[in-house]
Amino acid sequence: MKSRRAFKESLLYILLFIISVVFLAPIVIILINSFKSNFHISQSPFSLPNVETFAGIQNFIKGFTQADFSRAFANSAFITVFSVAGIVLLTSMTAWYLVRIKNRFTKLIYYLFVFSMIVPFQMVMYTMTYYAFELNLNNRLGIIFIYLGFGAGLSVFMFSGFIKSIPTEIEEAAVIDGCSPLKTFFLIIFPILKPTAITVAILNAMWVWNDYLLPYLVLGSGSNRTLPVAIQMALTGGYGNKDMGALMAMLVLTILPIIVFYLFCQKYIIRGVLAGAVKG
Amino acid sequence: MQKTLKKYFPIFVLPTLAAFLVSFAVPFVSGVYLSFTKFKVVNENTWVGLENYIKLFTTDKTFMNSLWLTVKFTAVSVVTINILAFALALLLTKGLKGTNAFRTVFFMPNLIGGIVLGHIWSLIINGVLGYFGVDITYDPKYGFWGLVILMNWQLIGYMMIIYIAGIQNIPEYLNEAAAIDGATPAQTLFHVTIPMVMPSVTICSFLTLTNSFKLFDQNLALNGKSPDTSLLALDIYKTFYDHTGLQLASWHGIGQAKAVIFFLIVALIAFIQLRATSQKEVEH
Amino acid sequence: MATIKFKDVVKSFDNGKVTVIPDLSLEIKDKEFVVLVGPSGCGKSTTLRMIAGLEDISSGEIYIDDKKVNNIPPKDRDIAMVFQSYALYPHMTVYKNMAFALKLKKLPKKEIDEKVMWAAKILEIEPYLERKPKALSGGQRQRVALGRAMVRNPKVFLLDEPLSNLDAKLRTEMRSQITMLHKRLQTTFVYVTHDQTEAMTMADRIVVMDKGVIQQFDTPQMLYNEPANMFVAGFIGSPRMNFINSGIVKDGEKLKARFSGYELTVSKEKAEYLADYIGKEVILGIRPEHFIAAEEITPSKDKCIITVNTEIAEMMGSETNIYFDLDGKQNIAQIKTGRKINPGDRIRLSVDEDHAHFFDPVTTAAIG
Repeated sequence: MKSRRAFKESLLYILLFIISVVFLAPIVIILINSFKSNFHISQSPFSLPNVETFAGIQNFIKGFTQADFSRAFANSAFITVFSVAGIVLLTSMTAWYLVRIKNRFTKLIYYLFVFSMIVPFQMVMYTMTYYAFELNLNNRLGIIFIYLGFGAGLSVFMFSGFIKSIPTEIEEAAVIDGCSPLKTFFLIIFPILKPTAITVAILNAMWVWNDYLLPYLVLGSGSNRTLPVAIQMALTGGYGNKDMGALMAMLVLTILPIIVFYLFCQKYIIRGVLAGAVKG
Repeated sequence: MQKTLKKYFPIFVLPTLAAFLVSFAVPFVSGVYLSFTKFKVVNENTWVGLENYIKLFTTDKTFMNSLWLTVKFTAVSVVTINILAFALALLLTKGLKGTNAFRTVFFMPNLIGGIVLGHIWSLIINGVLGYFGVDITYDPKYGFWGLVILMNWQLIGYMMIIYIAGIQNIPEYLNEAAAIDGATPAQTLFHVTIPMVMPSVTICSFLTLTNSFKLFDQNLALNGKSPDTSLLALDIYKTFYDHTGLQLASWHGIGQAKAVIFFLIVALIAFIQLRATSQKEVEH
Repeated sequence: MATIKFKDVVKSFDNGKVTVIPDLSLEIKDKEFVVLVGPSGCGKSTTLRMIAGLEDISSGEIYIDDKKVNNIPPKDRDIAMVFQSYALYPHMTVYKNMAFALKLKKLPKKEIDEKVMWAAKILEIEPYLERKPKALSGGQRQRVALGRAMVRNPKVFLLDEPLSNLDAKLRTEMRSQITMLHKRLQTTFVYVTHDQTEAMTMADRIVVMDKGVIQQFDTPQMLYNEPANMFVAGFIGSPRMNFINSGIVKDGEKLKARFSGYELTVSKEKAEYLADYIGKEVILGIRPEHFIAAEEITPSKDKCIITVNTEIAEMMGSETNIYFDLDGKQNIAQIKTGRKINPGDRIRLSVDEDHAHFFDPVTTAAIG
């Protein structure tokens, strides 16, 4: 009986191990190829590097310098950090106001936000781009404002859900203690909202960091381009022979920060994604 | 309190609302309007009534194709992803040691952005097909199944997490009761586990449904070059941006009309989802 | 150290569509412990929140210490409030919860520290100062909420059902704690509750409210002995007063209240007021404790003795509650008796005519 169970367990482990290999393979293949020289990537993409094909970190040096990868990386980091900070701060304030001030107008605004969650980007892509250019929002600061508008739906929705569960008595206690609305929000409400704020931040960070079409349309593929745009340019750009080694290195460099971030904040990320799934 | 806070509208709501109006609300309304016009740029348009919508089914050859392809792709993805994700969730709730490590691995692809993901798979699929002397553009079938594999790889881990949460929420006494009643593991699975995780099944089905239906980045990166494997979102994009010259004005209108229809389908799915989930809540 | 005065205060919601307080005038004395009591929805909490400034008033005036506070924000009214749910800030430690208001006032650190320690010592919460509210029991949280109010040394203490979330034993304990705190702090306390026992045991004076109207404002003794109307009579006292339909008849020099085939001789003081009701219906009110087992008293011709059929008998210890039917209405008598009473037992009860109450059946106001 006992040995049969042990046998079954080891079978399960082998199965899980095989599945893990399948799941990791694509990333590992890219990683392996990023250490191989150009010629050998297209020649034998699935072989391990050996003495002959090993290119050291040369691909990484090329990848990082070529095509202004570092600049795209910096653009993406800048836009992601400030968009997420702006969204978390401003939409939580908005959500609090909309929950606490009840009238037809605030209800309407709330339902407009919720409505925007179901509208696919393609619906507004062309017109939004037009207005972005008209209002000079086609730069790294402007796009942060646009992200605030697009992120408002889900973020206001998630914050509102949590704020409804905060008893108003706490806010009244704060008023009696001498808080203005701003102080009530920043000293009392926002600290209570922290778990939701982390969730909202993670969901938005993943979206903004990985987003392609919006920054491509608004910022273009010039010096303001973000990482996904740079990757798309580098891998589909049409002229001549592509430097496959450098491209592989670029992919690795793009994935790496996400995976490191994931391994450190796994708990929050999984919780955030789950919350987003159930509510969104 | 209410009265004091009310005055703070400009600080608390206005920034978000302004951003929302500029980037979403105004473009949405003008998008709906423009679908009934011919336009090259937004502010120069002429009203054409339903012409764009009629053209979708007559002049335009790609719309019905991509719609049908999207439906097929969505159906296949929803079925495969949910079955595999549920199976994995079952494996990972057997109380084995190291379950968390596996969970971490399976979830990881979900974090990688669509463009990068598409290119990773493009390199791999083209690498494999390279041995047969072809590439992904050779046959639309390759592109289709490539997309299905990619979608599975990305979403299985995500759905698995939701299923794990669902399975772990089943009270232990139900399994014990089933065991006492003499149920085999298979009977327990079909009569206890699966009925109890139905709420998770609903959530996951709709999540995979909308995600597959709206797929764009992965499609662009993986099949951007092959003509017959554009899903709806990519087809709309191409209608807008891949045409040049004199025809531009009419194509913009058609693109916007496609977008409106796309929106209506997605909204319908969301509406059905809302009904399905709220009904479930009533039942419980 | 403050008086509170309401002058014709009206409170309505939705632009006057719903009026919760039609016209309220009230004067609370300095250092007084006043309890607002009434069933839920009677406007007692709204009244308290108007003193705090958490609710605007639709018309009328409120004065704290002869200063009109209609348009003064809560923080400048020199009040402190203890909430039903305690309303502690969950992300702050007990110390920070208590120090918060003082910090906002920009008091020096040393002074804040002294005040917090002073309150913590009185309330015996010193060991928990570094804990978060989550890690405290209900009773401890309640004390922190009191402490947060105390450190501000306010002119008026407002307490909104502060004990209703505690279990029965703790509630009794905290009741005496709050009474002692009032004696110690020497300030005005306004306390809201729906529990008449709390009101009776703690208050100097009680405001009984119903439907936004003050029914009676008096000391606990007066409310018990001389309820102004049937609402107060029924609300104060437990078990509640029995109301029996009766008619007043003149029998020689005396007035008698006839009910259910019995006759109760009206006491001399009451007879004066009841003269107008001869030949008319009145409501006779008798508290359960004002029935006496006939076997306990010396029989006399003037005594009204009724014989009842016990439906339920609740043995309470020193007393027994007897439920009996009179003209199709259930009544309760609370008697002291040595013997065990069973359902179905026939019992002779003597009615204490000195404690009989009479009410006008139309206005429900007390007669006399």
